[in-house]
Amino acid sequence: MELSRILKKVLKPGRYTGGEYGQIIKDKTKMAARFAFCFPDSYEIGMSNLGMRILYHAINLMPDVYCERVFSPLPDMEAQMRENKLPLFALETLDPVKEFDFMGITLQYELCYTNVLSMLELAEIPLYARDRDESFPIIVGGGPCAYNAEPLADFFDVFSIGEGEEALPEMIRLYIDMKKSGSYSKEKFLRELSHIEGFYVPSLYEVSYNSDGTVKAYAPKYPDVPSVVRKRIIKDMDKAPFPDKFVMPYIETVHDRITEEVYRGCIRGCRFCQAGMIYRPIREKSPDVVNSQVKCIYENTGYDEVSLLSLSISDYTRLSELTEKLLTWTDGEKVNLSLPSLRADTFSKELMDRISSVRQSGLTFAPEAGTPRLRDAINKNVTEEEILRACSLAFGGGKTNVKLYFIMGLPTETYEDIDGISAMGSAVVNEFYKNPNRVKGRHPQVTLSCACFIPKPFTAFQWDAQDSLEALNEKQQYLRGKISDKRVKYNYHGVKSSRIEAALARGDRRLSAVLYEARKLGMEFDAWDEHFSYEKWEQAFKNAGIDMGFYANRAMGLDEVLPWDIIDIGVTKEFLKREYKKSRESLSTPNCREKCAGCGANRMGGVTPWCPKA
Amino acid sequence: MVPESIRIMFQKTGRLRYISHLDLCRTMQPAMIRARIPLWYTEGFNPHPKMVFAQPLPLFVTSKCEFLDIKIVEDVSCEEIKRRLREAFTDELYVTDVYKPTDKFTEIAYAEYEISGIAVTAQDVKGLLSGSIEVKKRTKSGAEKVIDIRPQVRSVTLRPDGVIECVLSASGSEYLNPDIFAKALAASVGIEEPDCDITRIKWYKADGNVFK
Repeated sequence: MELSRILKKVLKPGRYTGGEYGQIIKDKTKMAARFAFCFPDSYEIGMSNLGMRILYHAINLMPDVYCERVFSPLPDMEAQMRENKLPLFALETLDPVKEFDFMGITLQYELCYTNVLSMLELAEIPLYARDRDESFPIIVGGGPCAYNAEPLADFFDVFSIGEGEEALPEMIRLYIDMKKSGSYSKEKFLRELSHIEGFYVPSLYEVSYNSDGTVKAYAPKYPDVPSVVRKRIIKDMDKAPFPDKFVMPYIETVHDRITEEVYRGCIRGCRFCQAGMIYRPIREKSPDVVNSQVKCIYENTGYDEVSLLSLSISDYTRLSELTEKLLTWTDGEKVNLSLPSLRADTFSKELMDRISSVRQSGLTFAPEAGTPRLRDAINKNVTEEEILRACSLAFGGGKTNVKLYFIMGLPTETYEDIDGISAMGSAVVNEFYKNPNRVKGRHPQVTLSCACFIPKPFTAFQWDAQDSLEALNEKQQYLRGKISDKRVKYNYHGVKSSRIEAALARGDRRLSAVLYEARKLGMEFDAWDEHFSYEKWEQAFKNAGIDMGFYANRAMGLDEVLPWDIIDIGVTKEFLKREYKKSRESLSTPNCREKCAGCGANRMGGVTPWCPKA
Repeated sequence: MVPESIRIMFQKTGRLRYISHLDLCRTMQPAMIRARIPLWYTEGFNPHPKMVFAQPLPLFVTSKCEFLDIKIVEDVSCEEIKRRLREAFTDELYVTDVYKPTDKFTEIAYAEYEISGIAVTAQDVKGLLSGSIEVKKRTKSGAEKVIDIRPQVRSVTLRPDGVIECVLSASGSEYLNPDIFAKALAASVGIEEPDCDITRIKWYKADGNVFK
């Protein structure tokens, strides 16, 4: 067989074989529909993604549907596949993806868009939706980037907006029913699908533009097509489908551990944060459900580490009840607990003692900005005292390493705010020596890690321009010049990839041409530093005749029609405007638990602890 | 209970040929946990379960006969361990036997392999075995040197179905990778990159008895 010969020539062939323990096996000849769940990045990254695990499980709960996994082959494997004319295949049956009924592609980050196109190409599927007849699978996109997937609009048949556990099975059921009744055609199916909440069919809308290049309107082509597509949510997280076992990779992946989701949404409302808006309203799982799910997965996987996922774990209302429940059995079974996404203001000694990962490695907090003024403007609502107290707790608990995350280039930022970043680094170093319980004879290591601000759709800063490359570079160099203390380490994220991310994040349909050009230039794996090429991106924009700055570096008007206005995430544009205006006055907004800010997400319904009834 | 040694005999077949020995070791610990095998943990600073493989299996080689020794601290019958492990593995990692070992891994002297996919005649085999078998080997310093592997080849038989059975040295210092032998065999009939399947069949002790 061709594949077996190829696999001997590539690195880590275990990425391409499937056959892992926990993989779902069904009789493909008895299926009413087959779904290829594609993750446009490597096996190691995709297999660590909880969303994929949940949807693989949820779709496979349908007895007559088989969902299989597909990942991006790495360049060495891709070259072999092209050379030997082996089309992209799914891991469970090794069947070509083009034979499936659906190809579902998860869009986790903008820089994976080139991989999306290369996957289609490898699958021998025409890139443009308009070039595909009935013989090809329905191409459906989902995940966080689907909230504004306009740059991919020309390549996809439909986008699933919001949470997919219930929506995707509904979509597949509609397809099967239409096929069975003989009423199916791709066109009829997509039209019908557009009537179901959470499905956006880009080809059913006519987009017009103003002479200045901004969007004029999104007009449905038919009266029955909704003018706004509302996202889907799971109303009751305790009843949401969650895997009872995981597929167990043979090769090492990014996270080989149990990942358990504790709640969705966030009470905080940081003004740069997209996740904090699109996953609203906040919905918690109860501690009993979390505990029994973790236990069940532990018994079925044998993993010895549990990671509790959420946007801010210390905001979980019943965290101590949950950790108590977990600790009744995890310690005895030698299972470690780890809690990512800790907030400095709610970090406690008690919490630190409970999480074993803290005992092993350093701690990370995210002040995001260097001065109280800017932290108010971005609505971070963390004080310097709280950050220092949290670091001090860590030092007292035997830590010597602390990492602080910042964002540079935030709206309203001045050089005073950048001075504040280095000042905070020094303050944390001093905090170490002030602590009588610190590890004696050691020096602290404080890492200041700076990302670049990227304006994202559905945030209060969605209208803001990203700083130019020059301005960001200058700020980075300025901060680097300010830090001379050896105990303070400074690292920063590349400005160039941040610019591409900004352009794609706020892009409209016209960027499909850029992505097409990018594919022609052979670009892929742009999220990987070793593969990213800014020069090639510049070339792709130039070839398509599109100005990158229009999307990345332009302040959009508050009254402008935005490409993503077609999507309703629950949180209203009015609320975001209010937040935008408050940010210009450096005014913060209380979190949901303190006082409802009227974001509008309560209109979505659901079991939500703080939202007033709509 | 005093930790008791248990030997697990298993097959590694199919897609698992692409999984390296290191990756297999890494996935064995969670598999033992989900199989609820009462493993004995080392008592050091970083306790870990004691698991010892007879020998690593080279990448792309399958096996009908691999050995893994563990130590258990609760009384569970070998039959029960076998049942639980079969559940905790896929069919491509199939447990054939579980028992209390008597032979020691250090007694292993030879391993038998089946090689298919290289077209040779009985005459070719005879020719290969009649003199030295020289292969190039890269030393640790990176330099290439030519060595004779003939002394590590105990027997080679060509079956009527075209499959080559060979017995190669497998004791620590004398170990011969079957892939090197297969390449040498293919090279002797003018094949550069053989696309062959290799399967480990069984093991022998120095006295010629089957290792168990």
